[in-house]
Amino acid sequence: MRPGSQATDGDIVRAVLAGDRERYAQLVERYRDRYARYATRMLGSVDAAEDAVQDAFVRAYDQLAQCKEPDKFVGWFFLILRNRCFAERRRNRTSASLEAANDVAAVDRADGGAETAERRRALQLALLELTADQREVFVLKHVEGLSYGEIAERLSTSIPSLKMRMHRAYDKLREQLRDHT
Amino acid sequence: MSGHELHPLVKQLLDGEITRADLPAELRAEGEAALRLLAGVDRTDVSMPAVTWRVMAKLERRRRRFLPWLLAPALAIAAALVIWLVPRTPAPASLVTVRFVLVAPDAKQVSLAGTFNQWDPQATPLVRAGATGVWTATLTLPAGQHQYAFVVDGARWVPDPGAPAIDDGFGRRNSVLTL
Repeated sequence: MRPGSQATDGDIVRAVLAGDRERYAQLVERYRDRYARYATRMLGSVDAAEDAVQDAFVRAYDQLAQCKEPDKFVGWFFLILRNRCFAERRRNRTSASLEAANDVAAVDRADGGAETAERRRALQLALLELTADQREVFVLKHVEGLSYGEIAERLSTSIPSLKMRMHRAYDKLREQLRDHT
Repeated sequence: MSGHELHPLVKQLLDGEITRADLPAELRAEGEAALRLLAGVDRTDVSMPAVTWRVMAKLERRRRRFLPWLLAPALAIAAALVIWLVPRTPAPASLVTVRFVLVAPDAKQVSLAGTFNQWDPQATPLVRAGATGVWTATLTLPAGQHQYAFVVDGARWVPDPGAPAIDDGFGRRNSVLTL
């Protein structure tokens, strides 16, 4: 690492693997909030998302030696978090729906605007009715603001398959939110 | 196409690939309604400041659990050697080396006060690992139970997030370490 420059992800991963365990805190600090919103929207609950992000970082630490390209730690970590979110959704679908509405309602009370609040709450609940695959594409595109190309690269899939998932999601959302549009 | 499905051009509008003006007049209303659906997307940032110390505390707790098992065979051999070499000397109290870790990126100084240093906040400073915000101190302590807390910037007493805590009877929480 050059003096005065910020350590790259690769520098930190290599240092941790060499025994400097505390350096791992830098990676956690660097990426925990970047994926906090993704996990929250995927799981519909801030508490569940916090547990998922924490578990994903612990799992990534355990498997760090398998991170073949240390400079691409963040992409590798995202896939671990993604698997954790999908597993959590399979386990805990119903309770997430109820919490989701409450979490969103809490945010909206602070924002003000009853119509916006109701719209957000309805969309949040409708999102939980999508399949995990459909929901993920929706979250990455419309919440995280990624393009189809960026999503395809991150998930190692094709743009036409992403579009197919998204377009089915649009149809389902429209059906569920008929009274809110 | 069924009545439940949006028109492909409206889907392209939602994807951001075309604008409202590109829609034929008969699809404008459907397009507007679909865009209102997206207006409910919640892009509020989410922050999880506690995750850093929770992760590091979990890793540290696990390390502490494993360490005695890893050391046990070595200690057993050492104890056997001591007994064999000096059979009539009373065995010394066991000593255990422990590393204390606190993640405190904003702290100027961190120290450790506990039963092992008469609760003196000056006695055992922690060392910051570069610019990481991770503070550590390694101590060798006698086996048994110890109580302690971190002292941040000389004033704020903080229990160890990675250890159990008990009430000290004066309204403060002390961390407990059993070796």
